[in-house]
Amino acid sequence: MRAARSILILAAGGAVLAPLCAFGHGAEFLSAKLTLLPNAEVLLEITADYGGNPLIADEAVAREALIDPIRLRRDETLVLLTELSAASVTQHDNWAEFAPASYLPSDTEAQPHTLITAAWRWRSKTPEIVFEMPKGKLHDVLLWTRDQTNPDAPPKWMLLLAGDRSKAIAVHWQPWWQRWQTVMASSVFVLALGYFVSRNFTLRQRTL
Amino acid sequence: MSNRILSLLSVIALSGSVAAEVAYEFVPNFITPPPGKETIGNGHGEIAVDSAGNIYVSVQEANAGIQVYGKDGKFIKALALPPSLHGFVIRKYGDGEHLYAAVLGEQKVIKCNLDGTVVMTIPTSEFPADKIGKGLKLTNCDVAPNGDIYVVDGYGQSHIFVFGAEGKFKSVFGGPGEPLKLANAHKVFIDRRFEPARVMICDRGHKRMLHTQLDGTFIGEIATEMRNPSSASFHGDLMCVAEIAGNVSVWDKDNKRVADLGTSPKPTNTPGIEPKDWQQGIVTSPHGITFDNDGNILETEWNKWGRVLRWNLKK
Repeated sequence: MRAARSILILAAGGAVLAPLCAFGHGAEFLSAKLTLLPNAEVLLEITADYGGNPLIADEAVAREALIDPIRLRRDETLVLLTELSAASVTQHDNWAEFAPASYLPSDTEAQPHTLITAAWRWRSKTPEIVFEMPKGKLHDVLLWTRDQTNPDAPPKWMLLLAGDRSKAIAVHWQPWWQRWQTVMASSVFVLALGYFVSRNFTLRQRTL
Repeated sequence: MSNRILSLLSVIALSGSVAAEVAYEFVPNFITPPPGKETIGNGHGEIAVDSAGNIYVSVQEANAGIQVYGKDGKFIKALALPPSLHGFVIRKYGDGEHLYAAVLGEQKVIKCNLDGTVVMTIPTSEFPADKIGKGLKLTNCDVAPNGDIYVVDGYGQSHIFVFGAEGKFKSVFGGPGEPLKLANAHKVFIDRRFEPARVMICDRGHKRMLHTQLDGTFIGEIATEMRNPSSASFHGDLMCVAEIAGNVSVWDKDNKRVADLGTSPKPTNTPGIEPKDWQQGIVTSPHGITFDNDGNILETEWNKWGRVLRWNLKK
């Protein structure tokens, strides 16, 4: 029976196999990878898949989806990402870098992924940031963060639907007194160094 | 101890039901997977019940695309059908009870006896070429009272194709343009709660459900701002809905939400939630749903390991 099936498959030139590999589909969301950098810097990389997302038919739709995918809530206003920084856009096929493992598309191993990632990088003015999806948005956004200091820990994620607001996310923020502490420590060091040089120079003068 | 946990789960399920008229009770570990398996297998499909009460679940298993379970949830057999039966229904029309399925991976519709014998196929060539786009991605079908078969290209252009009972193309409506403006119309169903029957469309991309007449004329939205409605089933005046972003809801005929079941604390939409992370009575990504003949609810999930949950109607 198996042999007969194999012969049939071969006779069909593999036409049976192709559909077997093609019945999965990709992610139905935009994947937003958030990296928190030192000194309150934030890197947000949002990826659209126009090879597997049923809501994204082609590259043009993918690029449109990345124009205003999510916004930053600042007090009572929603700030466009483009107001925070200019986007850098790249094309690639590396899903693994841009979605958490449990959210990687399944049953699509045989399908080429055609991905576009837009990245925004800015320095946060607040110790916590909140993202929000305006109502009416077609594309859900999977917002996820990876702890750079503990890469083996599972990434934290939240799926935001239209109208949803993320939890507050703490950036690597130095409170004012810590920043002043740094300034003061630097000042003391400079003064001490000046005093040391001055004193040694004076002594040398006396010797001469 | 386990009884205490079961009681607690029942309370949680009941507390999720918001209406006094209808309440459900979660049934833990209802499905017994096939022998030798810990779970039923890769799920991206549908679930349905025949008139005898047997339960049919589609899984992505080569040459065994449907598993059949008894009323008690115990595995009976697998049917030798394709592995990509993304959407299917069991309906009585004409010469008896049949299974109608959209075969996502092969771009066709099949009609089968309940033993899995295919008795009719609607091939790709029967679909109008100008509506196929980059290729059909058929996700579901249902049968109208007059035998017409409604098929949706849910992962493609969201067109809804109408075929006669013999599988001949009749008409097409929907799609991304006016007036319906559908996006990822994941599944369509014939809503026989109304006379005349209506088409109920799960417009998943827009997070809404809507009704049209059988000819595609827009009637109205049933609900908006949902957790991405993926599938539905009807029993009496009720409709249950699988929302893939983490909820099961029950609606009355006046489009009022009367219960929420298994709501995931945070939205989700992935097949990658592992069994070790499953929580009793909490859904991951609901993909298919059905009432049984007594009004109990069975739901199957988009999940690589395969998962079925059940809520009994509290009488």
